[in-house]
Amino acid sequence: MSAILKIENLTMTYRVGKVDVHALRGVNLSVGRGEFVSIMGPSGCGKSTLLHVLGGLLKPTSGRVLIDGEDLTNMSDADRTDVRRRKIGFVFQRFNLFPTLSAEGNLRLAEHIHGQGKKIIDDETRREVLKLLRLENKMRHKPLEMSGGEQQRVALARAVINRPAIILADEPTGNLDSENSEVVLNMLKQLNRELNQTIVMITHNPEAAAVASRMIEMRDGIIVKDNG
Amino acid sequence: MDSLIASNIRQRPTRTLISVAGIALGVLLVVLNTGLVRGMLNDRIKRERGIGAEIQFTRKGSSVLSPSSVMSLDVRYGDRLSQIQGVKMVSPVGRYVQTGRSGLGFEQVDGIDFESYSAISGLRIVEGRIYGNENEVIIDEFKARQSNLGIGSEIQVFGRKMKVAGIYAPESGARIKMNLTDLQNFLTAENKCTFIMIKVDDPNQEQTVQKRINNELPGNIVLLTRDIATGFGRAIPGIDTFVRAVLVLSTIVSMLVILLAMYTTITERTREIGILKSLGASNSYIISVIEKEAIVISLIGVITGMAAALLAGWGIEKGTTLQLEFHWTWLLTAALIGLCGGALGALYPAIRAANQDPVKALSYE
Ligand SMILES: Nc1ncnc2c1ncn2[C@@H]1O[C@H](COP(=O)(O)OP(=O)(O)O)[C@@H](O)[C@H]1O
Ligand SMILES: [Mg+2]
Repeated sequence: MSAILKIENLTMTYRVGKVDVHALRGVNLSVGRGEFVSIMGPSGCGKSTLLHVLGGLLKPTSGRVLIDGEDLTNMSDADRTDVRRRKIGFVFQRFNLFPTLSAEGNLRLAEHIHGQGKKIIDDETRREVLKLLRLENKMRHKPLEMSGGEQQRVALARAVINRPAIILADEPTGNLDSENSEVVLNMLKQLNRELNQTIVMITHNPEAAAVASRMIEMRDGIIVKDNG
Repeated sequence: MDSLIASNIRQRPTRTLISVAGIALGVLLVVLNTGLVRGMLNDRIKRERGIGAEIQFTRKGSSVLSPSSVMSLDVRYGDRLSQIQGVKMVSPVGRYVQTGRSGLGFEQVDGIDFESYSAISGLRIVEGRIYGNENEVIIDEFKARQSNLGIGSEIQVFGRKMKVAGIYAPESGARIKMNLTDLQNFLTAENKCTFIMIKVDDPNQEQTVQKRINNELPGNIVLLTRDIATGFGRAIPGIDTFVRAVLVLSTIVSMLVILLAMYTTITERTREIGILKSLGASNSYIISVIEKEAIVISLIGVITGMAAALLAGWGIEKGTTLQLEFHWTWLLTAALIGLCGGALGALYPAIRAANQDPVKALSYE
């Protein structure tokens, strides 16, 4: 199995005033193409930090990160942004849709940024994604006119529409009731299965973690359990 | 992305409206001021040329260029001028300057000797008759049309009511004309005038005649009409500085308005900028989103400002004696000031937005 994501001895230390906060203390991880990985752990153990580093939003203090063959370690901010544009799809707890844009507008914006102005998503892929997420009839709605579950599905569509190498989801069901959580989790599972989409998902809900094919547990900035 | 810009502009209608108004104000300022300066100068030049005399003779203290109402030139200089070789005809003119009807600008009254004046300038009565007594004036067709005056209408000249006896054409010198002798009496300046118009035998020899007059009557001012006309721009003191100040001012207004508008906007949209970053938008992409928004707002402002200026110009021409002339170079300058001012003003907020930390921006409440 070829690794689409590889992390070696990753550390991240925040400096708050004169105090060093060691958020990551040497993480090693390899994720294969098409894997669905969940990461669990108590609040403050470094899950979000790890995800931000993987997505190139944060520069790690030390260690190596490889995304689909590209080494983020010594890259400039601009280059990491470019890797993110080409290879990463983010899903957040708070959906993070543009409130002034319709679902359609949110998708088009992501496509526009990904394609740098050129249309590179074929209509076939688009239809398939919308159908899979059952969004065909929601595209004209603004985020505030949709339920939380629907908004998160739009966010999922936005993340997957560009067919990224990896989807990074930070507590995607954290703001949803159990019914909507289930819908969203099922859809993540479907995206993983039907599109062979690699997914790394943070959650602190064991039921949510269970939909993944591989479960990882973190504590105090290191991986303490990995069933993969 | 275009829809992002459009939706952002619609999202904050008050902010958009205020920014548009700010840019429009700058454009209005430039268009009206340059239009006024140009209009007034060209109007003066046209009428100055309309007097038909090639040379004007005057003396210090009775400049035809400044709003002075002092008549200090003795009309008997006319007799001596007629005797100079190359001079065909002369006509003394007394010029009195009064504040404009609406308090804006100033208005001139010429006291003329009708016979010699019309012989030189071709002035003729097109309606009514020539002034018959000290309480009557004649006006040109523009003045009649613009001030809605007809034969028998009353008109204020040096604070007293006078009657329009006739309307003349073509335009030349001041738009209101009266008998020179009556003007002299009003100003208690017997036998005085402001300048003497000189028509030469051969217009090609005007400079030779000018030199000859200078030699025979030294110490006076002998001007060629064409030099006076082209010299107006330079002769009205500070006019260049004034126009330049207006340009700088409206650039600053445009910049500040957009700077403030975009600055508050990006603070409000911090999280959205974080989202753009999470989607992989580069710094230049984010800068361009904000710049495009600013430029669209500026463009709307420029169009609004132009429309307002045309409207205001029409109102000014109707309501005052001022005249405007819009020239495309100034319209273009005004548009560029609005657009560039806006783009420049947005640059700092745009760069700030682009350089935000993505993780912090995403967690911004
Ligand atoms: N920007 C930051 N500055 C300083 N400390 C931070 C920052 N972000 C996170 N931390 C600290 O790093 C640790 C890990 O945080 P985080 O990755 O958010 O954990 P999790 O997502 O597992 O709750 C925590 O102790 C947190 O307080
Ligand atoms: Mg977290």
